Amino acid sequence: MSEDTLGSTPPPPPTPPEPPVRPPTPVTRKWHGPSLVWLVPIVALAVGVALLIRAVLSTGPQVTIDFHSASGLRPGKTEVRYKEVVVGRVEAVTLSEKRDHVQVTVRLDRSVSNIAVEDTRFWVVRPRIDTAGVSGIETLFSGAYIGVDAGESTKQKRHFTGLENPPFVLRGEPGRGFVLRTEDLGSLDVGSPILYKRNRVGRVVGYNLDPLIDELSVQIFIEAPYDKLVNSQTRFWNASGVEVSLNSSGLKVDTQTLASVISGGISFERPQGTQGLPPASDGSRFKLFSDRKSALAPPDGPPLRVRMVFDQSVRGLDIDAPVDFLGIEIGVIRAIRLDYDGKRKRFPVEVEAEIYPTRLGAVRDSMRQDGDDDKRRDTTLLQRLVQNGLRAQARTGNLLTGQMYVALDFPGKVQKAELDTSTAIPAIPTVPGTLADVQPQIAEIVAKVNKVPFDEIGRNLNETLAQANQAISQLRPEAQASLAEVRRTLQSVQETLQRADRSLLDPSAPIQRNAEQTLQDLQRAAQSLRVLTDYLQRHPESLLRGKPDDAKIPASPERR
Amino acid sequence: MSDAAVHTGSQMKLYGCPTCGRVSQLLRPPAGDAPLLCPRCATPLHHRRPRSLQRTWAYLIAASILYIPANLLPIMSTSNVFEGETLHTILGGIEELRHGGDWMLALIVFIASIAVPLLKIGALLVLAITAQRRSRWKQVERAQLYRMIEAVGHWSMLDVFVVVLLVGTIRFGALGGVMPEPGLLAFGAVVVLTMLAAGSFDPRLIWPEEEDKDRPS
Repeated sequence: MSEDTLGSTPPPPPTPPEPPVRPPTPVTRKWHGPSLVWLVPIVALAVGVALLIRAVLSTGPQVTIDFHSASGLRPGKTEVRYKEVVVGRVEAVTLSEKRDHVQVTVRLDRSVSNIAVEDTRFWVVRPRIDTAGVSGIETLFSGAYIGVDAGESTKQKRHFTGLENPPFVLRGEPGRGFVLRTEDLGSLDVGSPILYKRNRVGRVVGYNLDPLIDELSVQIFIEAPYDKLVNSQTRFWNASGVEVSLNSSGLKVDTQTLASVISGGISFERPQGTQGLPPASDGSRFKLFSDRKSALAPPDGPPLRVRMVFDQSVRGLDIDAPVDFLGIEIGVIRAIRLDYDGKRKRFPVEVEAEIYPTRLGAVRDSMRQDGDDDKRRDTTLLQRLVQNGLRAQARTGNLLTGQMYVALDFPGKVQKAELDTSTAIPAIPTVPGTLADVQPQIAEIVAKVNKVPFDEIGRNLNETLAQANQAISQLRPEAQASLAEVRRTLQSVQETLQRADRSLLDPSAPIQRNAEQTLQDLQRAAQSLRVLTDYLQRHPESLLRGKPDDAKIPASPERR
Repeated sequence: MSDAAVHTGSQMKLYGCPTCGRVSQLLRPPAGDAPLLCPRCATPLHHRRPRSLQRTWAYLIAASILYIPANLLPIMSTSNVFEGETLHTILGGIEELRHGGDWMLALIVFIASIAVPLLKIGALLVLAITAQRRSRWKQVERAQLYRMIEAVGHWSMLDVFVVVLLVGTIRFGALGGVMPEPGLLAFGAVVVLTMLAAGSFDPRLIWPEEEDKDRPS
């Protein structure tokens, strides 16, 4: 349209315009080929290709992982992390054909393309809060991520089955794993801490029950450098929770760290003198003791079974109660049985115990005679001790609770006895226990007290009292008569006093009046005495010269 | 529109100065390849911009090449404590907006960031091809198209500005941050290159003249 308007104007006459002021100056061209502007697309191509190549190169292999649930996994968002470094990203989450699990497609980074090998493990890290602690707390905000533990195999793999729980030991994590055998798991769980001097140095990795040998084996992992603390003599014990033991030694509460109180744990210690031993090899097996005391007790060696027959009640004596030799615990009660003695028509209690002769230490070595086998030598040792007066005695260890223990002691005056080796299990002769000792004495006292003729004494006392009563009743009339006389005497005394009162204290009484008069006279005498002394003071010469004449009265002034 | 009475500028050896608007007439042919300069402001005068079409082609090809990484590669990455690092491509952002229910916003971003650069490249391609072929097809509409491209040109830089602003302002250390990614470079280059292509295109090529035949574009 503008063309129309412009076109409609007549073309200007070809007036000769002024020639260009500046005459054209020749310039020689430096470049005669295609325009330099073609460098721009070439550079663009180079840059574009470089960008794309970089993008392509940075993407690594694609792997698929099977999980039970895709909870928390978001395509394009969820990261794959190895040692907390992002090494990939979830690309897609799809259901498997059978719809029994989900298939997660993961694009790994190029830099970790060799991570996808046969023994690599994948798991989903979600926030976990259990007794072993809180883990994956960062996923509360960031959402779940997929954790990787790189395998060591060289065989490449593209399809994996994900773990449902994080593995407890990562490959390459420095430390050592051990196996503990135990009969009871207690409150231990996967993740429970391993404590050394109440310091967390490892964790329970897993446990399994072997039904064939009916024993639990607990796999533990001890982190480096603490794994060197474990040597062949290291003792492990279950430090689960609060250990409250009530026995003849009293109430004992033993706790480890607060965390292990809640979640259980295992402690270990190296017995004295074993610190120098070389560290135990990976996967060594140890026994897990139930408490520190039993763990650190010197090795007991084979136990020797003994019997003790008590004639008294063994109330308060429990299985696992200690057997004590001069204050040293050398064994435990294993069984308590009731027996019947037909001859004596009694029910003796047969207590079976295991004693560990090794706990006698040097005593055993010095007193033991040579023999061919350990058991027999220990039996002869026991035989000798019994000949020297060793007796078993059930004693009360704790008066409050009535717990009892068996003491092996030398009570002094005892009848001669021998170790009864007639049965397979030798029987140690017994003496009545301390309480049983006291009982007959108390009975004797009671019997003696019983012999006192309380009845007779009472009767005599009663008679005496009756006689006293009689005597008193006989005395009664005379006492009444004397009492009346006393009253009369008192009356006459009162009258006398009244009379005295009247003659002395009445204002009209003559004594009263006379006294008044006398006092007045005395007052007057005192007055005249004062006058006299005054006069004498003024005229002391009057004593010698007598009273001077009265002074002349001067003439009246009117007359002068 | 060509009628015999009309004398074209080239016929009359008239040169308009693009800077000061002065019209000058060439009285005698210049010696050799020496450029003609405006007698008033010394701006080089051309009957047609030299190598205009070649430049347009070069910029256009460069822009088309970079258009691919600009859309495939992420233009920025955001990171925050809740989601970790997230990469954003332009198309991904539009998809997110659409998914979030912001249809209008998604449409606007799509038009501004995907459609406009693409249409610009397409339109310049049409202009360049027709100019190359000295086509007389829909010349007025092509001229309008050219003016539109010129006008709309720099608006596609909005995306680049937004990202640059975000990168500059959102810096919360561990809490969150925005970082530019290589895609942004490519995208910015596409916009700049299309602008250069449009700028180097001589709209007078829409009206080819008989005597232009011997003059290479």
